[in-house]
Amino acid sequence: MIAYLPYLILLLPLLAAVSIRVFLHPFPRISVAVSTFACLGSFVGSLGMLFNGSVSGEIVAPVLPWIEWAGFKANFGLMGDPLARGMAALVSGVAFLVHIYSIGYLEKDPSRSRFFAELSLFVFSMLGIVLADNLVSMFIFWELVGLSSYLLIGFWVERPAAGAAANKAFLVNRVGDFGFILGILGAWALFGTVGFADLPARVAGVAPGWAATAVGLGLFCGCLGKSAQFPLHVWLPDSMEGPTPVSSLLHAATMVVAGVYMLIRVFPILELSHVTMTTIAWVGGVMTLLPGLIACQQNDIKRILAYSTLSEIAYMVMAVGLGVTGPAMYHLVTHAFFKCLLFLAAGSVIHGCHDEQDIWKMGGLAKRMPFTAFVLLLGTIALCGIPPVSGFWSKDAIFAAMAHSPGLAVISMAAGFFTSFFMLRMILVAFCGEPKSEAARHAHEGSFFMIAPMAVLALLSVVGGLLPVEKFLGYSHASEHASWTLWLSLVLAVAGFVPAYFFYRRATQDPLNFVVLRNKFYVDEFYQRIFVSTQDSFGRLADAFEGWVVRGFLVRGSGVMARASGQGLRLVQCGQVQVYATVFILGVLVLLGWLWKQGALR
Amino acid sequence: MIFGEITLGHYLALSSLLFLIGLAGVILRRSLLIIMMSLELLLNAANLALVAVARFQGLPDPQVAVFFVITVAAAEVALGLAILVAIFRIKKTTAADQLATLRF
Repeated sequence: MIAYLPYLILLLPLLAAVSIRVFLHPFPRISVAVSTFACLGSFVGSLGMLFNGSVSGEIVAPVLPWIEWAGFKANFGLMGDPLARGMAALVSGVAFLVHIYSIGYLEKDPSRSRFFAELSLFVFSMLGIVLADNLVSMFIFWELVGLSSYLLIGFWVERPAAGAAANKAFLVNRVGDFGFILGILGAWALFGTVGFADLPARVAGVAPGWAATAVGLGLFCGCLGKSAQFPLHVWLPDSMEGPTPVSSLLHAATMVVAGVYMLIRVFPILELSHVTMTTIAWVGGVMTLLPGLIACQQNDIKRILAYSTLSEIAYMVMAVGLGVTGPAMYHLVTHAFFKCLLFLAAGSVIHGCHDEQDIWKMGGLAKRMPFTAFVLLLGTIALCGIPPVSGFWSKDAIFAAMAHSPGLAVISMAAGFFTSFFMLRMILVAFCGEPKSEAARHAHEGSFFMIAPMAVLALLSVVGGLLPVEKFLGYSHASEHASWTLWLSLVLAVAGFVPAYFFYRRATQDPLNFVVLRNKFYVDEFYQRIFVSTQDSFGRLADAFEGWVVRGFLVRGSGVMARASGQGLRLVQCGQVQVYATVFILGVLVLLGWLWKQGALR
Repeated sequence: MIFGEITLGHYLALSSLLFLIGLAGVILRRSLLIIMMSLELLLNAANLALVAVARFQGLPDPQVAVFFVITVAAAEVALGLAILVAIFRIKKTTAADQLATLRF
C-alpha cells in the first residue's frame, strides 16, 4: 500500500482543483474547505512517507509505461528517495499553511473558489516536479507550475498590471524553458536516458566535453527562468502583483526554488563540465549581490522581499555551482520557512493597511500590529543569518564551501551586508516612528487564520536550523570548516544594520537616492529597447505584410477581380432568349468547324 | 423515277432541311408558341436522321434513341405549354422580345 502513497499525495490536490472547477465553484466555503483539506491530506501523506522505514531507503512507487518511441523511453513514475520525500513534505507543509492564511486573507474576495482551485492546481504541479522520476515528466509539471503561476499572478483579473505581470512571467519563463527542453533532448542524446535513477550510472560512462557542457548549460537555462536568475530575473518582482499568499508560496517558498531542486536532480550532468559549474557559481554569486543592491532603494514592501528572494535563491544556485548540493538544499528548506513567513507578515501588513504597499506610507505599525512586527523581526533575523536562528546555519553551510573561492565569498558576503541593510530599512520605515498615512493609523491585525500560520512558520524559522535536515536530505556537513568565512559573513551581516539604523531611524522620506538602483539597473528598460521593440517592429512588419500583401493583394485582390469581371460580363446579358440561342448555335458551328479542321469528323 | 432510288443521303438531306427550317423558326420568330413548334421540328429532324441511319445501317441503337427523344419531346411540350400559359397570364404577351427581364 505504501507504494501508492506518492500517487495519493500527488493526485489529492488535482482532485480538489478539478472538483472545485467543475462542481463546487458556486460554493466558496466548500471550495475553500476541499482545497485546504486536500492539501492537508498531501501533507500528512508526505509526512508518512518521510518517516516511513529507514531514512535512506527508497519508497518505490509503481511505474506506468508511458512513451516508447524509436529508442526513446520515458516512464511515468514517482521518486521516493530522501530528497523527494523531504521536498514533498516541505512543499505540502508550507502550502497547507498558506492555504490557512489565504482563508483569512481572501475572506471577502468573491472569487476565492477560483483562487483555491488554482492554488490546488499549483500544489499538484509542484508536487509533480518534486516527485517526477524523469526529466520529461518533470518538464510537464514544470510547465504546469508555470501555468498555475500565470493564473495566480493574474488572479485579480480586473487589474491591468496583474495581467501584464502574469504575461511577463509566462513569457520570460518560456525563454528559460526553451533552453531546458534543449537540455533534456541533449541529455537523452548524450546519456541515453532521461530518468533520474539511472542518470549517475550513465553519466559515469561519458567523457566530459563540449556536449556535456552544452547539456548542462541548457538545463541551467531552465533554472534561470524558473528560479529567476540573471538574465531572466525580471519577472519575479513584477509577479508581486498577485495576491500576497501567492507571492509567499509560489514566488518565495516553493516554485522559484524548483530550479535549484532540478539542478540538484541533474547534478551528475552539471558536474561533468567545469565550465558549467563555474558559470552556475558565478551567475549565482553575482545574483546574490545585484538584487540586494536594488532592494535598498525599493519602496514596495513586497518588491523588497522579492529582491531578497532573488538574492537568497542565488545563494542556493551558487552552492550548486560550487558542488555542494547539501547546503543548497538546506538553505532551500530554511529559506522556505523564513521567506514564507516574511511574505505572510508583509501580507498581514498590506491587509491591515487596506492594500497599502508603499513602506513610506506606513510607519508606527509595531504598536498597532505587534504580532506581525514580532514575526517579521524573527524572519528578518533568520534571513540575515544572525545566530542562532535557521538562516545562520544554512548560510554558514554554504559559506563554508567557499573557503577556496575568495572572489565569490566576498561578493556573497557583501550581499549579506546589503540584505541586513535593506531589511532593517524596511522595518524601521514601516514599523517605527509615526504613522505616515491614514491607513497606517488604523492598521489592525488579521484574523486567527492569518495569525496561526505565521506563528507556526515563525517557530520553524527559529528552530529550522536545528532540524535534522541533513539526515533527511542524505548529506553530511562539510568536514573542513574554514572559520574565517563564518566570522567575516557574520561581521558583514551585523555591519549592515548600522548604516540602516543611522539613515532610517527617523526618516520620513528616503535620505538616499541612487537612481540606478531605483531603476533596477535598467534591465527592464534594456529588454524593452532591445527585445520588446525589436519584436514590436517585427510584429509591425508582419502586420504590414499581412495587411497589404495577404489581406490586400491576395484576398481582397481576388475578390475585386471577380467582381470587376462580373461587372464587365453582365453588360453582355441582354435577356433576349433568341439572342442566346443564336450565340449558342454560332458556338456549336465554331466547335464543329474546329473539329472538322482537326479531322475528327472525317 | 426522276431521282432514282431513294438513298440515305436523301433522308439526311431532308433531315438537314427540316433542321434548318426549325432553327430559323427558333431564331427569327417572335411568338413563343411558334418557337416551341420549331423546337419540335428540330427534334423531329434529328429523329428522322436517326431512323434513316438505323434503317440503312441495320442498327437497333438509333431507334432506341428515337424513342427517348419522343418521350422527352412529349414531356417538354407539356411543361413548355404550361409555362407559356403561366407567362401569358402574368405578362399578357407571348412575344419573346417582350420577355427580357432576366438581365442586368
